[in-house]
Amino acid sequence: MTQETGATAAQLKGYSPPGKPTLTRCRSPEKETFTCWWEPGSDGGLPTTHALYYRKESSERVYECPDYHTAGENSCFFNKNDTSIWVNYNITVVATNTLGSAFSDPVDVDVVYIVKPNPPEKQTVTIMEDKGWPFLRVSWEPPQKADTRSGWITLIYELRVKLEEENEWEMHLAGHQKTFNIFSLRSGGKYLVEVRCKPDHGFWSEWSSTSYIKVPDYFHREKSVWILLTIFSAFIFLILTWLLHMNSRSLKNCILPPVPGPKIKGFDNQLLKNGKSDEIFSALMVSNFPPTTSSNYEDLLVEYLEVYVPVEQELMQEESKDLHGGCLKCERSTSDSDSGRGSCDSHTLLMDKCGETKEEGRHTDRASSRMLTEAQRHQKGWEKDTLTYAHGDMVSPDMSNGRVKTWPSVFSPLPQYSSNPLDKQSSLEMAKQHCLSTSSCLTQPGHSTKEALGPSNWDFCLGNKQPHLLHPQTQVGRQLQAHSEVNISNIGRKQAPAGLQSPALRSTEYVEVQRVNEEDLVLLQPVVSGCGRIEGYPQMPKGKDYSKVKGVDSDNMLLLQREVMEEDWCPGVDQEINGGTGNCYTSSTVNTTQKPTACIHTAMPVQGDMALAMNGYVDTATMCTLPTC
Amino acid sequence: MPGNIRSVSFVVLVCLLFCSRLTSVGATPICTNAHAGCHVLSLSNLFDRVIQHSARMHGISNDLHSEFEQYFLPSRNQIGRVSRNCHTSTILTPNGKENAQKMAREELTEVILKLLVAWRDPLWHFHHSMAHYDDFNNFSSNKALEMSDMVHELRKGVEKVAEKMQVLGITSNTVNSLTSPEALLPSESAEWRLMKDYDLLYCFRRDSNKVQNYLKILKCRIVPEHGC
Repeated sequence: MTQETGATAAQLKGYSPPGKPTLTRCRSPEKETFTCWWEPGSDGGLPTTHALYYRKESSERVYECPDYHTAGENSCFFNKNDTSIWVNYNITVVATNTLGSAFSDPVDVDVVYIVKPNPPEKQTVTIMEDKGWPFLRVSWEPPQKADTRSGWITLIYELRVKLEEENEWEMHLAGHQKTFNIFSLRSGGKYLVEVRCKPDHGFWSEWSSTSYIKVPDYFHREKSVWILLTIFSAFIFLILTWLLHMNSRSLKNCILPPVPGPKIKGFDNQLLKNGKSDEIFSALMVSNFPPTTSSNYEDLLVEYLEVYVPVEQELMQEESKDLHGGCLKCERSTSDSDSGRGSCDSHTLLMDKCGETKEEGRHTDRASSRMLTEAQRHQKGWEKDTLTYAHGDMVSPDMSNGRVKTWPSVFSPLPQYSSNPLDKQSSLEMAKQHCLSTSSCLTQPGHSTKEALGPSNWDFCLGNKQPHLLHPQTQVGRQLQAHSEVNISNIGRKQAPAGLQSPALRSTEYVEVQRVNEEDLVLLQPVVSGCGRIEGYPQMPKGKDYSKVKGVDSDNMLLLQREVMEEDWCPGVDQEINGGTGNCYTSSTVNTTQKPTACIHTAMPVQGDMALAMNGYVDTATMCTLPTC
Repeated sequence: MPGNIRSVSFVVLVCLLFCSRLTSVGATPICTNAHAGCHVLSLSNLFDRVIQHSARMHGISNDLHSEFEQYFLPSRNQIGRVSRNCHTSTILTPNGKENAQKMAREELTEVILKLLVAWRDPLWHFHHSMAHYDDFNNFSSNKALEMSDMVHELRKGVEKVAEKMQVLGITSNTVNSLTSPEALLPSESAEWRLMKDYDLLYCFRRDSNKVQNYLKILKCRIVPEHGC
């Protein structure tokens, strides 16, 4: 009664009999023992106990589980004594509480078919080498409990491998063997290896503990390097070929430059191919070769010097301009040896030759020059600069309206002279030589003259020639002559003879007095360079020659001597002033060169402030009558 | 001349028949007396062959049983049946490792042979009864036939092994009981007919496992060089 009331009371409280338990699984690790686990049902709120009962195949006897604790909770462990192989177990679990009990569904178990071994043990992974290529060797031992040595259990193995960074395993069935080789490894890779086993008829074991192995970096030198090198070189070769192909033309031009064809003006290849030599060579002929035009010469030519007696300024400007040009041109010519133009023209050279013998004169001149005052020296120097040599044979003076045009060209030969280039050259060479020789002398007289003269070489020549030409007989006379020489060329010069030292007045020119007109004006004409006839040179009109200085009187007046030129009015170049001879001195005293030097026809005394200074011409009005003129 | 040709052709035909017969065995003939020209197999090799045979036999029986279980799922009542008697239950077989290791080689060999003999006829009949089941595919019926043949072959093989062992002196002559299998099963001859096919398959699956296991134990006990 009390039990029923107790049970009723319990039911009233909401308790219930236990739920039905279920056998989840039974496993045997070595086919010698086995364990069964169950899942209990609801306990109904009351403490519930479970019991496992089993019955063997061919008997009716019911046994209860011998061991509930070895395998854990809700388990039953059957030891070796209680385990029979190839015997069907009928197992039932009963849950019991105060209210009731519940029986689970019976399960038939044959131990042979529930074998699940333990994982393989003593797993080792090593790296081994096969002809330079490494491989993994995995070895293991069967689980200790499974008796494979007696043949009771036969296990087959399976292993799986993967790289650390991969997700999928690579499975390998090893069969009954306990070692396995894994090939085709990645250099430097880290591998994970696991092994499991299974009996002939049973369940797979759990995977063994993971083994880690790192493959060392291996470099198959013999092949890999060569392969890389081959590929790399092939790649480079392809690139080079491509570059060559792209730049084939420019390279071709660089290595094998095209042969330049003939580039002769007027040369026609077609004509050559045709084989007509006449046409070819006629085409080659240049009309203006050798150049006959005297464009250069004309450039060098100084313009006509218009001698304007009344218009003094104009002439002065012209002359200055011309002299400038002449100086410049002379300077130019000094540097050009093949121009045919020397620093000194033939005219000057001839005169120099006359004076070369007068070495002594030079010395004396030097001495005398020292005695000169500074001002005089300067003036003389300047006056020397202004002397110009005229190529008398070049062009005949143009006489018109009282103008005497002179050509103060010093060096460049006129077109008429083109036929005689050789003569010119030789003369110019000699002039050059003289210039060179005189340049050395220049230094000796004094620095003043040098400074005064300036850079033009031919001026120096001229300057030096003066003392040569002059006879140093009388100092004064010489001075006068020098001055007169200068004055003649200084046409239109308004400068006072004393003190005027314009360096612009460089070019000097020898003119000869052609005649004296009714108004007592001295008409000058350029002196012909070189005695004797020269080709193409028109004869000077025979007129009265007032170029000779007869003498200088006490008043420092230049006395001109008139003489009649008959033939060679360019006589001896000896510029000695002979005081009373009315004859033209021939080259008696001076016979230095074959070529006659031009006579220096001096005209005016420059010294002193005379009316002569106004125009450079001899003021006949102031002159005293010449007895012999 | 034509007479000679005929005689020669006749001889050739006879020779071909003999050769085909010889080749129909399917395996290298075992020379028991070490005749010249025969390949003499070692005991280890014999054991390996036999074990492989028994393993294959067990595999087939396992497949058939699982197929039977799918098509003809026995009711739960059958599973809960207490008495499921295989006709070979009378044969005392060791049920554990210790028991099997304790048994002598000769006894173990005899047990194997008894089992194999006991299953020759039932399997043959089983094979014939497969035709009644329309649900069975041809593959299963072939398996039944193969299984029947395998039992036969395996029995011969085990007999050869026993003979070899006797020759080698491993086993004594006492175990060599060549009593006819029919003598073993006269009392049980009617029982197996009552068994259902499913139970028959179940029993055979277990017995083939036993055979395989026993053979392995024998091998590892006698010739433990390879795979033990």
